[in-house]
Amino acid sequence: MSASLGIPVRGVSRAALDALLAHLGEGSVSAAARYDALARYEELPVRSVVRGGRGWKHDLAKLDLSELAAFPLEPDPEIDLESLSPAARRAGVTIERFSRARERHRAAFERAFGAALDTRDDKFASLALAFQSHGTFIDVPSGISIDEPLVIGYEARHEALFPYTLVSVGAAASVTIFERLASVAGAAFVCGVVELIVDERAKVTYAVEQRTSPDARVIMTRRATVAANAELNVDFAELGAKHTVSRFRAVLRAPGAHAGTTAVFFSDGDQHVDIETETIHAAGNTTSDVIVRSAGTGRGQGRYVGNIKILPEAHGANASLRDDALLLSKGAHIDSIPALEIAANDVKAFHGATVGAISDEELFYAESRGIERSQAERMIAVGFFEPAVSRFPTDALRDEIRLVLENKISSKAEAGA
Amino acid sequence: MSERGLRISDLQASVEGKHILKGIDLAVSPGSVHALMGPNGSGKSTLAFSMAGHPSYAVTSGSVTLDGEELIGLAPDKRAKAGLFLSFQYPAAIPGVSVANFIRTARQAVRPDDLTPAKFRAMIFDKLDTLDMDAAFLSRYVNDGFSGGEKKRLEMLQLAMLAPKYAVLDETDSGLDVDALKAVGKSVNALRESEGGKEIGFLIITHYPRILQHIAADHVHIMMDGRIVKSGGPELANVIEREGYDKIREEVAASVG
Repeated sequence: MSASLGIPVRGVSRAALDALLAHLGEGSVSAAARYDALARYEELPVRSVVRGGRGWKHDLAKLDLSELAAFPLEPDPEIDLESLSPAARRAGVTIERFSRARERHRAAFERAFGAALDTRDDKFASLALAFQSHGTFIDVPSGISIDEPLVIGYEARHEALFPYTLVSVGAAASVTIFERLASVAGAAFVCGVVELIVDERAKVTYAVEQRTSPDARVIMTRRATVAANAELNVDFAELGAKHTVSRFRAVLRAPGAHAGTTAVFFSDGDQHVDIETETIHAAGNTTSDVIVRSAGTGRGQGRYVGNIKILPEAHGANASLRDDALLLSKGAHIDSIPALEIAANDVKAFHGATVGAISDEELFYAESRGIERSQAERMIAVGFFEPAVSRFPTDALRDEIRLVLENKISSKAEAGA
Repeated sequence: MSERGLRISDLQASVEGKHILKGIDLAVSPGSVHALMGPNGSGKSTLAFSMAGHPSYAVTSGSVTLDGEELIGLAPDKRAKAGLFLSFQYPAAIPGVSVANFIRTARQAVRPDDLTPAKFRAMIFDKLDTLDMDAAFLSRYVNDGFSGGEKKRLEMLQLAMLAPKYAVLDETDSGLDVDALKAVGKSVNALRESEGGKEIGFLIITHYPRILQHIAADHVHIMMDGRIVKSGGPELANVIEREGYDKIREEVAASVG
């Protein structure tokens, strides 16, 4: 069964997993767990979030991974994009590879692993677990506040990358984490999982900046569980890749928990971005707000599905969701699909969605001040994203995102000229 | 052609196929202040938008020259670069774009690289002060959630920062309380007294004469049904103040009949 060394086994089959285990060893996820996960990946259907929706050019049901080299024959030297300031290290904050985390922080690691995400109900989370290649464990002990953002970086350097990030933040701790997802040029396939476990009264900001290369395919499943009076803010900037699937679910499981979610995407060229956020209010007096801003140009396609579920026991829950999309070309298309499911009756829930173009009155106003049309469009479009971009942590990250957005608009102007 | 001034000759324009401007002739020389008065629906705002190049306003004949340069046919930004400024009656909101960023971008567009960032800052703070505005105003989004008075103050701030050759103020006084109107008057007068502002020619479009108590006009024109029907000195505004537009309407009807 096992492949001889040096010859890649293509596809995400059992044979490929055999070869991976023979080549790399068991690693931090047991062989049994990996085979189980692979079996589930094969059995589970692709969830169809929209019934009767339009046919997508990039359809997960048609995803063909039969030629994928799911693991590199030459393992990377440590991909070392993490940072941990001396102050954070002294405070007892852990950032470790899974393999070392299991040696050194076994109890904390095992307590956290699987606490926010049960991969059993998700096809691509199962795939990520089966072939898990890179793992990062962050543990912030109770009561610790770290000002400087912690950075987790993954860069796809081969055909496939299966990252797993596990974050555990203790009671009353406070931390900001950046996840940077990149790839070298080429058609990388990235399929990963992030688990965020936020304990009581903790305050966590988790910002994702995905800027993989234009041929990459990215499927990320991220889940969070938020304890009493804790506050979690998760911000997504899904800017790269040819096809991005980004799913996030936050479960507010005790009173006073809050989840803020922000998503920014901009489909240009023939990019396709598919984002789904889900906020589950599972306890009373929990609050959430979601802000999504997106744009499409060229033949870019996008879809945002925003779910809010308020369970029967979530008395006094307060949820809001705001989703606005801007279309900058005739060929671009964005679907906005908010969905509220409310099973308690003393709650507040709001959602609103718009899809539109830049208004002529705004354009004329800016032009009448001497600003050229293309520059006015760029300024107005970048401004359109601002309510979402301003929620990201740090000036540097906000400026980086603005710059990427501006460049996408500029490239549109050049292509149109 | 090389004569200085903002010269409007036989300007005719229509909106959505409706003929509104039926031949306007008007010349504003540098440093002068003209008031254009008229009842609602007389075509005053159509004149302002036609001059500025709003795409919904089709100029069917005539010309507008700015110090000899023909504006009709130019893109709106080119007209601004030529030296025209329009203060909007209803300025558009641009969410997500700060006042400071907007004005910096506009200034850079009409007068590239003529101010260092430090000088720009000093200038904008000075102009804010004249308008009784707070520095916090600069970080707000352009006209987003602004009161009527704040919108007009922002128009005046842009006017002062861009220092055009000719400024058209479209109903700047409408919807303003006394304090805001005073601030607008103070700002325009300060600009006219400043080094770079002496030569600015103004066309003040208004329904009511009250703004002219704050900004002194040299010439007053009365517009009705798409034409200028009467021109005169500042005293003409007083006639409107006392008697409204009906008397003039009767005079015009009599002279035509």
